[in-house]
Amino acid sequence: MTQAEIKLCSLLLHEHFGEIVEKIGTQLLRAGGQALRGIAGGTGLLLDQVKKALCVLIQHNLATFRPRRGGVEYEAQCGRILRILRYPRYIYTAKTLYGDTGELIVEELLLNGQLTMSAVVRKVADRLTETMEDGKTMDYADVSSTFVRLVDTHFVQRCPLVPEGPQSPEVPPPPAPTLLSSDKDMYTVPRLSLVGKGKRRRSCEEEDGEPRVKKQKQEGESSEAPPDDGIYWQVNIDRFHQHFRDQAIVSAVANRMDQVGASEGLAPLGAEVPHPAALSFAPTPQTSSEIVRTMLRMSEVTTSSGAPYTQPLSSNEIFRSLPAGYNIVKQVLDQYLALLADDPLEFVGKSGDSGGGMYTVNLHKALASLATATLESVVEERYKQPFFQDFCPFPLHVTGVPAPRRFGSRCARIFRLLLRKKHLEQKQVEDFAMIPAKEAKEMLYKMLSESFVSLQEIPKTPDHAPSRTFYLYTVNVPAAARMLLHRCYKSVANLMERRQFETKENKRLLEKSQRVEAILASMQATGAEPAQLQEIEEMITAPERQQLETLKRNVNKIDASENQVDETIFVLESFIESTVKRP
Amino acid sequence: MAEVKVKPEIPDPMDIESRIIELCHQFPHGITDQVIQNDMPHMEAQQRAMAINRLLSMGQLDLLRSNAGLLYRIKESQNASKMKGSDNQEKLVYQIIEDAGNKGIWSRDIRYKSNLPLTEINKILKNLESKKLIKAVKSVAASKKKVYMLYNLQPDRSVTGGAWYSDQDFESEFVEVLNQQCFKFLQSKAEAARESKQNPMIQRNSSFASSHEVWKYICELGISKVELSMEDIETILNTLIYDGKVEMTIIAAKEGTVGSVDGQMKLYRAVSPLIQPTGLVRTPCGLCPVFDDCHEGGEISPSNCIYMTEWLEF
Repeated sequence: MTQAEIKLCSLLLHEHFGEIVEKIGTQLLRAGGQALRGIAGGTGLLLDQVKKALCVLIQHNLATFRPRRGGVEYEAQCGRILRILRYPRYIYTAKTLYGDTGELIVEELLLNGQLTMSAVVRKVADRLTETMEDGKTMDYADVSSTFVRLVDTHFVQRCPLVPEGPQSPEVPPPPAPTLLSSDKDMYTVPRLSLVGKGKRRRSCEEEDGEPRVKKQKQEGESSEAPPDDGIYWQVNIDRFHQHFRDQAIVSAVANRMDQVGASEGLAPLGAEVPHPAALSFAPTPQTSSEIVRTMLRMSEVTTSSGAPYTQPLSSNEIFRSLPAGYNIVKQVLDQYLALLADDPLEFVGKSGDSGGGMYTVNLHKALASLATATLESVVEERYKQPFFQDFCPFPLHVTGVPAPRRFGSRCARIFRLLLRKKHLEQKQVEDFAMIPAKEAKEMLYKMLSESFVSLQEIPKTPDHAPSRTFYLYTVNVPAAARMLLHRCYKSVANLMERRQFETKENKRLLEKSQRVEAILASMQATGAEPAQLQEIEEMITAPERQQLETLKRNVNKIDASENQVDETIFVLESFIESTVKRP
Repeated sequence: MAEVKVKPEIPDPMDIESRIIELCHQFPHGITDQVIQNDMPHMEAQQRAMAINRLLSMGQLDLLRSNAGLLYRIKESQNASKMKGSDNQEKLVYQIIEDAGNKGIWSRDIRYKSNLPLTEINKILKNLESKKLIKAVKSVAASKKKVYMLYNLQPDRSVTGGAWYSDQDFESEFVEVLNQQCFKFLQSKAEAARESKQNPMIQRNSSFASSHEVWKYICELGISKVELSMEDIETILNTLIYDGKVEMTIIAAKEGTVGSVDGQMKLYRAVSPLIQPTGLVRTPCGLCPVFDDCHEGGEISPSNCIYMTEWLEF
């Protein structure tokens, strides 16, 4: 855990859980595994507070415990805390795949850490009911079915349980239970018949008589334990990561192999039937990426997330699994597969000839290509700054104003050259890249100072005299990836700090606007004249309104860029993980 | 009986020299001392040496060293005439420069080989230059270094840098222009292939262009004053590969197909980049020059970052 990671973790904990949890989390991250007393002593907080904070952390799967050395040791999971940054992306993915219901289920699970199925269903139904029109309610059955679908595709999994064992009175229970999760039960949904409908939260004035009756009934319900008590569910983060990885690979293939043209493609179904020959050969847009997407979808549950290749799939299977409505002929599919396998990208490989050709997706190679493309993109954009300061430092897509593309693209050229040729001398770099010697030297030194590029010394004489040594430039991709990842963490921390600073600066104004809104709401409820409402609204002057608008816009902008940096973080982390050799 | 003193015959010095020259003609690669001795066994070593020295000073013999010892070789007659009027040192320096061929030789190396002092070397070089026997060429690798070579030789590519250098200046604009032209050609070819809406295999194959095609296109375009060879075009195409805009494959081609070298052909194709610019470079922190100095509470911090302020205002 580097300084940058710890800083980011403490910022995230503070933002989502408050100061006390942040203190304890940071203490655990800095000092490693500690017992209860140690934590209390290290942070100077009361034992009671420490206990509560630990409960919060454990509930959200951010800390673990285990029995050790006569007590229980608690440890914070740095990697898991950093995932909090990615929660919006998970929720958005669930929305695209399973609609609003799925989105709310995932959101509830993420916000609460671990929940029983009945609790989830009830909460989501209530929330959905509120957004629906008056008179309609959300049925529990719909929500349950979406929940079951989420579990079936492994997006949601069961939490580890305390194992059932014989309770003998002589043996004292262990200080901390060891939690077990069995693979077979991980994705089995218990048979529940959840009957009911979402309840709408009504305001107190309407229907005075009913709420009391309803309340009693509710209390009666909660006194019995729900049928699936003890079975808790959590979000399966790894599965989401697999999905993101697949998305990244498919979009890379689409960028490289498919030509996106709105006017191209097959005629829509229902249009006049084109000539059969034209139909079979007309290239659909995005065909290659669709094929790769199909292959990845078929391997979703058969391949483990850390595998270097997917299981081999025969071209017949792929043909059968293509999405319906994709009317390409088998030969065309074979041609596309052959093209994919031959491409210098090497994302798809051919592993055999049975069944019309067995094809696999090279996952590790794909991740490596994506990581190197990220590095190249950073080098290209970063060194676009000229070497004098009185110039706008931001490139096109940040400012919208084009900057002269002089330096950055040349640096990128040198970088890619070194990636291909592995080790080169200064003179050779100039010759291959066709860049004047002075510029090439300057760029190489700049990249060297930021550790994108490193030097390898090869001495000619045993005394390593500099004049008699070869100095070769080289790019070490995993090292550069780690360096960039560290930068990303620091950048996100900077962005979060800036956001909090902006909010704090305008705190007075925000409080004022909140007060005004509260007054307005209460006045509207009690029935006030429009003139009075107008008066209250004018309490916020126009420039203040402007300021609030600016603040909102800035905060949204910073938020969005945090998510964008998180995308880079994801690619780099997946790549680094794939390079770590598992024993 | 009186002792008859046999007067040793003193062979005529001229005869010795002509005999040696005849021997040299017989063995154009050179003769050693031993050969001369075998031929004229009655000659004394001193006379032999004198004869050889005279021939050397007249410039009719070349003195070479080999593993067997010293070799004497007949010198070409026109060279002999050229060197008339120059003394031995100049002849030596000239010989060294001649041996260097078209790569030229540096003055310090001449000094090492001839063991002459620097002032002498400079005088001799000036002399030879004025006689238009040698010339100085500035090397492109180190601009202060001058290499000397024979007057009528073309300097080698490694010295002048070839087509990309004109008077020791790297022509970067020329390279840029060629770069863009080649890329446009490949891009238009790929577009044409895409428009044809055929079978994907054919589409892909027709979007390839061989290096020979690109070379012909550039020659016809006529933007280059210098004659460009196919290797030059290939170096330009390689820079496009390093820009990430073009990819290359090598296929086996029949000998005799136009543009094939050693049974292979290089094909190039324009490609689009793999990913959009990544998330990190869309934030000010990704491009900040003072990133390492930035921390909360310091002079440079996220709260007072001017880059962020500018960025938020857009």
